[in-house]
Amino acid sequence: MTLPAFDYVILGAGPAGMAAALTAREHGVKVLVLDEQSQPGGQIYRNIETLKTTRPQEFQKLGQEYQSASQLVENFRQCGVEHWFERSIWQISKDLSIYHVNPEGEHDSSVPSLVQAKHLLIAVGAMERPMPLPGWTLPGVMACTAADVLYKTSGLVPEGKVVLAGSGPLMLLIACRMLDAGVRISAILDTGNKTSTLESLPLLPKALRTPSYLFKGASMIWKLRKAGIKMVSGVQTVEALGTQKLEQVRFRKGSMTETLGADLLLLHHGVVPNVQITRLLGCEHQWYEQQRYWEPKVDEWGNTSVKGVSIAGDCGRVAGSKVAELSGHLAAFDMLYQMKVITQKDRDQKSKHLFEQRNSHLAVRPFLDKLFQPSKNWLVPQDDSTLVCRCEEVTVRQIRDAVKKGALSPDRVKSLIRCGMGPCQGRVCGLNVTEIIADESGLPPETLGYFKIRPPLRPITLGLLAQLH
Amino acid sequence: MFRKLSEDRIKVRISFEGEEFFVDTDQSVASALLAEGHQVFRSSVINNQPRGAFCMMGVCFDCLLEINGRPNQQACMVPVKENMVIKRQISSGNNPS
Amino acid sequence: MKREEAEVAVVGGGVIGASLAYGIVNRNPSVLLIDKENMELTASRGNFGLVWVQGKGFGMPHYADWSIEATEHWPEFASRLEEESGISLDYEKTGGLEICLGAQEFEERKNFLGQMQEQSKDGTNPCEMLSRSDLQSKLPDIVLGDEVSGASYCPHDGFVNPLALLKALHWGFQQKNGKYRHGHSVLNIQKNGCGFCIETDSCLFQVNKVVIASGLGTTKLSKMVSMHVPVRPERGQVLVTERTKRVFPFATGRLRQNADGSFMLGASNEDVGYNLETSPEVLSSIASHAIRIFPVLNNLQLIRSWASLRVLTPDQKPVYVESEECPGAFAVTSHSGVTLASLHSNHLPDWILDGKKPLDFDVFHSRRFDVP
Ligand SMILES: Cc1cc2nc3c(=O)[nH]c(=O)nc-3n(C[C@H](O)[C@H](O)[C@H](O)COP(=O)(O)OP(=O)(O)OC[C@H]3O[C@@H](n4cnc5c(N)ncnc54)[C@H](O)[C@@H]3O)c2cc1C
Ligand SMILES: Cc1cc2nc3c(=O)[nH]c(=O)nc-3n(C[C@H](O)[C@H](O)[C@H](O)COP(=O)(O)OP(=O)(O)OC[C@H]3O[C@@H](n4cnc5c(N)ncnc54)[C@H](O)[C@@H]3O)c2cc1C
Ligand code: FES
Repeated sequence: MTLPAFDYVILGAGPAGMAAALTAREHGVKVLVLDEQSQPGGQIYRNIETLKTTRPQEFQKLGQEYQSASQLVENFRQCGVEHWFERSIWQISKDLSIYHVNPEGEHDSSVPSLVQAKHLLIAVGAMERPMPLPGWTLPGVMACTAADVLYKTSGLVPEGKVVLAGSGPLMLLIACRMLDAGVRISAILDTGNKTSTLESLPLLPKALRTPSYLFKGASMIWKLRKAGIKMVSGVQTVEALGTQKLEQVRFRKGSMTETLGADLLLLHHGVVPNVQITRLLGCEHQWYEQQRYWEPKVDEWGNTSVKGVSIAGDCGRVAGSKVAELSGHLAAFDMLYQMKVITQKDRDQKSKHLFEQRNSHLAVRPFLDKLFQPSKNWLVPQDDSTLVCRCEEVTVRQIRDAVKKGALSPDRVKSLIRCGMGPCQGRVCGLNVTEIIADESGLPPETLGYFKIRPPLRPITLGLLAQLH
Repeated sequence: MFRKLSEDRIKVRISFEGEEFFVDTDQSVASALLAEGHQVFRSSVINNQPRGAFCMMGVCFDCLLEINGRPNQQACMVPVKENMVIKRQISSGNNPS
Repeated sequence: MKREEAEVAVVGGGVIGASLAYGIVNRNPSVLLIDKENMELTASRGNFGLVWVQGKGFGMPHYADWSIEATEHWPEFASRLEEESGISLDYEKTGGLEICLGAQEFEERKNFLGQMQEQSKDGTNPCEMLSRSDLQSKLPDIVLGDEVSGASYCPHDGFVNPLALLKALHWGFQQKNGKYRHGHSVLNIQKNGCGFCIETDSCLFQVNKVVIASGLGTTKLSKMVSMHVPVRPERGQVLVTERTKRVFPFATGRLRQNADGSFMLGASNEDVGYNLETSPEVLSSIASHAIRIFPVLNNLQLIRSWASLRVLTPDQKPVYVESEECPGAFAVTSHSGVTLASLHSNHLPDWILDGKKPLDFDVFHSRRFDVP
């Protein structure tokens, strides 16, 4: 059987994936882009095409950035790239054969269910860092960005008593967006820690090279304060209370405990790279201490340790949409060079100004990453009965017990108590499991490794699998 | 817990737990249900606790529902379609007898 | 270089080494269990968890008896290990089925078991053949596929959670002050005046006796103490589904339902050398076979799959041998290390510590592979 083959397969049509596709297409390479969503845009510009046509007033509100992104999406649509949306990857073999299904988990006749890549770009972006706390599995407790997704895709905004808890610029951004949409926020519980604020100060001068980011941050805080939202800083614990669904949020700051009525609790603890695919492919990863997550090891072009596989955007070190876009172009230029479409000189010439721009956007990152460094309080839930693995319903205590019996890596813990063995494949609990093992054993997290990611990347039915036969 | 900013799109008919709704197209099953005020999508596999959509981006697998007789459908990723029959997923949605 | 002394060292912390170490430490607390512990999926971590007799020992009746004896020891072995380790093993002696598709498979199975009966010492056979309708009546909660023609049944068979077994052996061993030294890859074993010196990259262990139970590493290490123990890898791929209601209360060679409700399917037999990748084609054929047996599995979700390497001797039967040139050095390797865990832990310590061999033990000597 000969598979449909493409020179360049890009996973993810966010800023990084779209940019890479554009550069590759400009040089005539045959490109396929696969994405789980139904249109291009990625997380930041989710649903941008529909938004522009059906809800122009919302589109306007999203600001200048969206207007220019809309051009990017249009160029992407017109560049002659093959794009298959609503495609979810469940396996990629070493020879870069890519297996995928539709959102219902089926093959359908619209596109071939197996394709082959000569070169693979992984641009699948980031996901929110899970923040396990007591009661976080109750309906009514959601990820902060979930509210953003609902807003962008369906024009849904929170209603009733809305509480936000966590820290990080994205939480502020989303809060501001809600404010603009007329949402009344009951409280914002800031869980950021003071030490990292102090420790980040020495990094400030470099950050000032791109003052726009800092200015944006400060103005968001100012805006929220001006709106009279209750903002509590230095919050040490948060609990979600309720039986069938969320009813109250209880939090503690120092010796003060307060309980708020709540219909919706939105959690945010920054975003972390989505490494399932790079892990599946066996790319080398390294621990990024400032933000306490694993990231694939890459060179300046985004090449991973696996030949023919590179990454771009927030599935590497998280650095936002502008950097993602620039990295997409850069990764594509190097791919073109590797495929001998352009010369090394060509590549370097065309990339020079892209590197410069990327460096200037990156200048603020060390400061931000330190400022919003997640603190141990939140990475290791203090209440031992907190569920860490939502799928298999495994608690902090069970993980600690496994560690006491000598399970000193996420995989060993998993093999003992099934933590990370549910349908999400450990996406949600992985980093917390590492942190809890580190805490219990006293070993540094970077020595503990991560879950071994094996196919399928998402559950598929045996029936579908049998069809390959 | 959510309200719609505007109602201006084409509608499709779906049912959830036997109740009928007309909902906007161009959205996921999860957002359609949330817009109708339904938050409890399933009960958890081990402790039988209520669960609903959490991440809305296909990561957490907490939004699993039975759609048109097929269990384990990720409600935040599956687009709504005319005449979908949607049910809560109780425990592990599959019961192979 | 750190130095450490002990009476016995077991090299290899897989299920075989751990069973031996756990058994030995009950009699003599001075035991080291040395393992290189990498993150690879060794046979002991990637196996199917069957405690299985059915069809084993063709061409070596003694092995058939040895397997039956192992399953007889299992219930008591499991409960003691659970108690000592505090880890639940999910061991169930369910009885085992080998389900046949089509008339031909059924006939072949019947003939094969007939031959097994002929070779047995007392002419008995632990297995019986079940017709399709007998089989269906044993399975009120799950419907057989149209092609199913029947099955062979053996009451001794069952299964265990293999990962829990391995962990419990390690933990039980450590609870008795056995010394588990992981992260040590053994580079050299040398006979010296007072026993053996075992060298790793950071440590020298001086012991009186050494037991090599190093899975696929056994051949190389055995050679250092003048033993010839050939083993080769064979890849097996395994699938695990989501949890579901328990409807299938038996073990089969290729399909079973765990205590937690997930189905486990497997395992392929592939001669591909040291290759630990899964391949969608093989996974697909395993899934398709399972659906032919129970069509309702069609809708079940696959959650996880993996590949792992069996440790096979040329005739796939156990090897238990003591070095003639270097007495005090032993090698133990076997396929079915899970099934035999009870005997490895109950019987082999007497042989290793006191030279007391079980009856007819010499059939397991590796000299059977020596070219005449
Ligand atoms: C939920 C969320 C919301 C965010 N919102 C904002 C925001 O409003 N403003 C902001 O500045 N930053 C936001 N960010 C930060 C964001 O990561 C970056 O701004 C930017 O979107 C990164 O671009 P990217 O191209 O690297 O990845 P993304 O934009 O995340 O694009 C990745 C794409 O890959 C697809 N994908 C993921 N996994 C698979 C798979 N297995 N198979 C196929 N396709 C897959 C996704 O559907 C997505 O379209 C958000 C992050 C998250 C996680
Ligand atoms: C897919 C599959 C399914 C199976 N199903 C069953 C079943 O259902 N029932 C059953 O009874 N059996 C089954 N088996 C067989 C069973 O798993 C094996 O017989 C058993 O695990 C072998 O154990 P072991 O300890 O000899 O080898 P291994 O598990 O390979 O362990 C050897 C250990 O030695 C260590 N080691 C190697 N070299 C060195 C060195 N130089 N220094 C230090 N340490 C070293 C390794 O790190 C490893 O930990 C199956 C096997 C496979 C692959
Ligand atoms: S809500 Fe998380 S996967 Fe659907």
